[in-house]
Amino acid sequence: MTAIPAQEQLAARADAAPLPRRKGRAGRLEWLAVHAVFLVVCAFFLVPFLWLLSAAFDAKAKAYIAFPAQPTIMNFVRIFTDYDFGRVLLNSVFVSVATMILVVFTVALAGYSLSRIDLRRKDWVMYGVLLLQTMPIAATMVPIYGLARQLGLRNSYLGLILVHAAIELPFLIWLMKNFFDSIPRHLEEAAWLDGRSRFRALVEIVLPLARPGLGIAAGLAFLSAWAEVLMVVILIDQDSLKTVPLAFYQAMRTQGGYTEVQYGVIAAMAIIYLLPVMVVFFASRRLMVRGLIGSTRGL
Amino acid sequence: MADVEYDRVWKRFTSQTAAAVQGLSLQVPDRELLVMLGPSGCGKTTALRMLAGLEEPDDGDIRIGGKSVVGLEPKDRDIALVFQSYALYPHLSAHDNIGYPLKVRNLSKTEQEARIDRVAAMLAIGHLLPRRPGQLSGGEQQRVALARAIVREPRVFLMDEPLSNLDAKLRVHTRTELKTLQRELGTTMIFVTHDQAEAMSLAHRIAILSAGELQQLGTPDDVYDRPANVFVAEFIGSPPMNLMPGERQNGSVVTSSGWRIQLATDVAGPSGDVTVGLRPEGIEIVGDGTSDAQHAEVVAVEPFGSEVIVDAKLGDQSIKIRTAPDIRPAPGSTIALQADPAAVRLFDRETGTALT
Repeated sequence: MTAIPAQEQLAARADAAPLPRRKGRAGRLEWLAVHAVFLVVCAFFLVPFLWLLSAAFDAKAKAYIAFPAQPTIMNFVRIFTDYDFGRVLLNSVFVSVATMILVVFTVALAGYSLSRIDLRRKDWVMYGVLLLQTMPIAATMVPIYGLARQLGLRNSYLGLILVHAAIELPFLIWLMKNFFDSIPRHLEEAAWLDGRSRFRALVEIVLPLARPGLGIAAGLAFLSAWAEVLMVVILIDQDSLKTVPLAFYQAMRTQGGYTEVQYGVIAAMAIIYLLPVMVVFFASRRLMVRGLIGSTRGL
Repeated sequence: MADVEYDRVWKRFTSQTAAAVQGLSLQVPDRELLVMLGPSGCGKTTALRMLAGLEEPDDGDIRIGGKSVVGLEPKDRDIALVFQSYALYPHLSAHDNIGYPLKVRNLSKTEQEARIDRVAAMLAIGHLLPRRPGQLSGGEQQRVALARAIVREPRVFLMDEPLSNLDAKLRVHTRTELKTLQRELGTTMIFVTHDQAEAMSLAHRIAILSAGELQQLGTPDDVYDRPANVFVAEFIGSPPMNLMPGERQNGSVVTSSGWRIQLATDVAGPSGDVTVGLRPEGIEIVGDGTSDAQHAEVVAVEPFGSEVIVDAKLGDQSIKIRTAPDIRPAPGSTIALQADPAAVRLFDRETGTALT
């Protein structure tokens, strides 16, 4: 047994203790400075939201923050009556959820394979995946447009889902590979010896332990598909297949040219567009934090 | 219940230059408790993993109950392995961990419960069943891992250093329990460890490995009293055997420090350079007047309660002597030593192989 001398133990404990809080004028100034910076940062992120809130409930919204001059909920009603926003919203939900399911299924299997199976030149495969991630998406616009046309994937849900999944896969495969690396191999070896096949051991033992990682993958895939606009613009020009970012973009563009910009309508759309993001974030925040720490402790 | 046979088994990893296991041949009869012993990196764990099916041998054959298992999936070998890390499923309770292999075998619920209860009672872990591994101490996790292995009633038990994560006291206690358990179950067991005391206390037979090669296979008494080579002589015993360069001259041997030791009459072999091996208890501290006694200077005295180890210097050679607890020569003083001729072991100076 290796006994640590008592003195060293004490020293180690002293190191770990929090620093005593500084008192007096210097301490107060520091407190003020820290909080002032904190407030500025908060304001920077909060002000746009405040505008959204005030504009969405204002019949005469302008491009600057003001308390609603003519409070109303008509903006929300109009986006559904005049802009068919219900259909658009459903399209977005369907595409994002389908992308999420496809991504989770794929990264679970790909990440596990790259983590566990000895492939020749596995490092090259991994670098290749990383290279794909570093490609600017705009550079792939033209080939993706051509490919989608050839395969008949323009103006289809399937095309959008495949492209959105492809955008997210490289990073999430890396993430899941590292996550699987952190799960001890002995666990699945024990399951094999207990009589399970490789696949059943993956499903019953490894995947439950990978839940935090899969949670992040699901959350990120959903949010990315929800927010993606470039590929939607390239692939979709049928109104019945529009997703929220495209509808939003068109609402801003078409109105700007002819009539007065409908700021209230745009703000109302933005608020509804943000809601699912909030829901996904709060529903999965504990999983996400655990997954980002990459820890399987306490499961 | 089955016997196990390694037949000229080789295993090479691409990351290493030397083969991890080199031509291992070994037979473990049914119901035996065999300990594979060796320093880390000697290939003992690889040998065990090949038997379990977690590694495939490059060459040679491994048989269980007379049938080759090479190429068989781990799940089809009917072997239980207790890992050093225990490998309990963290998301399942102790109860479900133990029950997992039974669930896999599609036993009826009542049969499953009956077997879990029986094993839990045997290992006194009934009160731990609802808890998850994270809520168990190291010793408790170890017992749950053992229960998961036992509950299946496998043909062979494999243990990969299962005691090394326990504290010293619990380790000795569990060692005794394991030995009793193996006798009661009557299942063949192969136990891997680097701890020679653990090996000596548990094993029916010990297989000592070094650098992928089997050095000696024998009972604890065999390997202690008649080590096959210098490696075994130094690895087994605490303190290990004293080894001194020497020269054989007919009926006696003279060490490089000039100590002439009479050999037992039945020692055969040619004269010449040898390595002389003497266990610490094969040397006696005698009265000054004794004929052919060798003088040595005491360096240190280590009392262990039941015995005393005396470190002495014989010329430039340092040796250890095991004596009764009441013998305490002062450091710096001179003592007279006499070797027991029956305890002398001779090894080839070049190859290290035993000559006697």
